[in-house]
Amino acid sequence: MARILTRQFGLFEYDPAAAIEFPAGLPGFEARRQFVLIERASIAPILFLQSLDSPDLCFPAAPVRAIDPQYELALTADDLRLLGSGAAEDLIALAILSAPNDGPLTANLLAPVVIDPRSRRAVQAVRMDRRYSHRHPIVKETACW
Amino acid sequence: MLVIRRRPGEALMIGEGVEIEILDCTPSQVKLGIRAPKQVTVLRKEIHLTGEQNRLAASQLTPDGMDRLLDGFRGK
Repeated sequence: MARILTRQFGLFEYDPAAAIEFPAGLPGFEARRQFVLIERASIAPILFLQSLDSPDLCFPAAPVRAIDPQYELALTADDLRLLGSGAAEDLIALAILSAPNDGPLTANLLAPVVIDPRSRRAVQAVRMDRRYSHRHPIVKETACW
Repeated sequence: MLVIRRRPGEALMIGEGVEIEILDCTPSQVKLGIRAPKQVTVLRKEIHLTGEQNRLAASQLTPDGMDRLLDGFRGK
């Protein structure tokens, strides 16, 4: 097991084989290539994408289908090349969450983080179409009207 | 917003040294050629927005932000 001292979770132990490589980094964080997923049953479906290069860097995320059950992925040839996937099957798709103090919780459905569990490679697949927003509001289903 | 009509082969200049040329144009797509100094970043807008959103998401993981996150998902 390997260990990293994270800002959010303190000392975190992980299996090095579970590390995920982003060959192109993520927009805004192009130099950060190695991440690990931190999941806690108590806060599911929220999970965290923790950088292994930078202990302070961590993105909250949730499966896109937990936010929009009908969500459809759109991957470019470049995305598939970076993932090293022959086929776009069994891919894990997460939306990075934003929790501003002056607005609603939002999810970036424009650019899901797509992970190939076999190659352990990932890419933030920024869509070319305008079907989904980079600030998709997460609305509670407990509507009160 | 400034609106300019151009045809393929024509170009426009922005500030010092940024040139945008219309290379090709179909009913659904425009192909642009961009000449800019090295220090000028050229990004598709979606990627720029995602970069901003990523920086925001990473900066909000304070205890307060964590509470907002959990609260936002309660009832989902």
